[in-house]
Amino acid sequence: MMDTMLKRMSLRSLYALLGFAILTAFFLLGSCLHQIGIPIPGGVLGLILFYLSMSTGLVKLKWVESMAGLMLRHMVLLFVPLTVGLMEMGQLLSKQAVAITASLLVSLVAVMVTTGLLGRWLLPALPAAGKEAGQ
Amino acid sequence: MNFLVTHPVFSIAFTLLSYFLATVLHRRWRWIPPIVAACLPIVALLLLVREPYEKYNQGGNCLTWLLGPATVALAVPMYRHGVALRRSLPTLALIVLAGSVVGMITAGGTAWLLGAPLPVVMSTIPKSVTTPIAIEVCRELKGIPQITIALVILAGVLGASFGAPLMRLVGVKDDRAIGAAIGTAAHGVGTASLVRRSEMQATVSSWAMAAAGVFTSLLAALLKLFLH
Repeated sequence: MMDTMLKRMSLRSLYALLGFAILTAFFLLGSCLHQIGIPIPGGVLGLILFYLSMSTGLVKLKWVESMAGLMLRHMVLLFVPLTVGLMEMGQLLSKQAVAITASLLVSLVAVMVTTGLLGRWLLPALPAAGKEAGQ
Repeated sequence: MNFLVTHPVFSIAFTLLSYFLATVLHRRWRWIPPIVAACLPIVALLLLVREPYEKYNQGGNCLTWLLGPATVALAVPMYRHGVALRRSLPTLALIVLAGSVVGMITAGGTAWLLGAPLPVVMSTIPKSVTTPIAIEVCRELKGIPQITIALVILAGVLGASFGAPLMRLVGVKDDRAIGAAIGTAAHGVGTASLVRRSEMQATVSSWAMAAAGVFTSLLAALLKLFLH
């Protein structure tokens, strides 16, 4: 009983390590491609290549699922250090407060209204969503 | 004392501890944003021991680097939900692309018209997309990552609170359209707010958030070429 539990646990942590290795490898691959002149950020290039690898079956969802889930759930932790940097930007922020706030509000409403209305006009022609997800 | 506090390992450990406490607080009081609760103890400590941000960031940087693999991890929900949505995928892609273009132009345009300096204008452009991608796009455009992060967080919180009422106001009722709008405008924070409302909204939203990130990076690359 104890043995099977340990085996299952170590298997799970091996999957986590494998997942981390795969995600890091794709990030580094993307960063190399970015370095040699592709103008898209390395992480996004990695994301695209990783998506294609899963679509073609080169990488199995099962290998990365647990680590990807963990990283996405706790992503907030990863941008804490950069956010702390705001403490040194008080002056710039207060000087540009109006422009920054206006830009945020205008753009937020514009994106939601454009996307929502386009969706309202273009999507209903397609098969009912519920049925499709159930296939 | 200051040797200990500025040691990179201490910075990492203290950040983990603050984050842990922030998630506990957030679980008890839902309205506390974890990111704010996680940053405050760190800022307080740095002010208390009179050390600059730069010293803390020697350790903090290690966590920032992990945003790279985390960006790649976004492909997982995109792939998984893409399978469920496959028939509406081309149309959804078009809609999210249009939303991303409008978002970048209106954000940058408003800041520019109000006379903000170029780095600030560039920092506002990726404000609709998920944090790790927004930071990378901001760096590409030579913006200021901290400003982008603050805007991304605010866009997420505002989009999560006012997105659904706004959709009702303009008469959008289709679950997929609502999901696409909130995922494109308010990334992960908006998506999380939909999970309890409707499964279809949340599925489309998490696909749209990843797609908007990819499209915005591609469009930013074009913008960069155009500016040179």
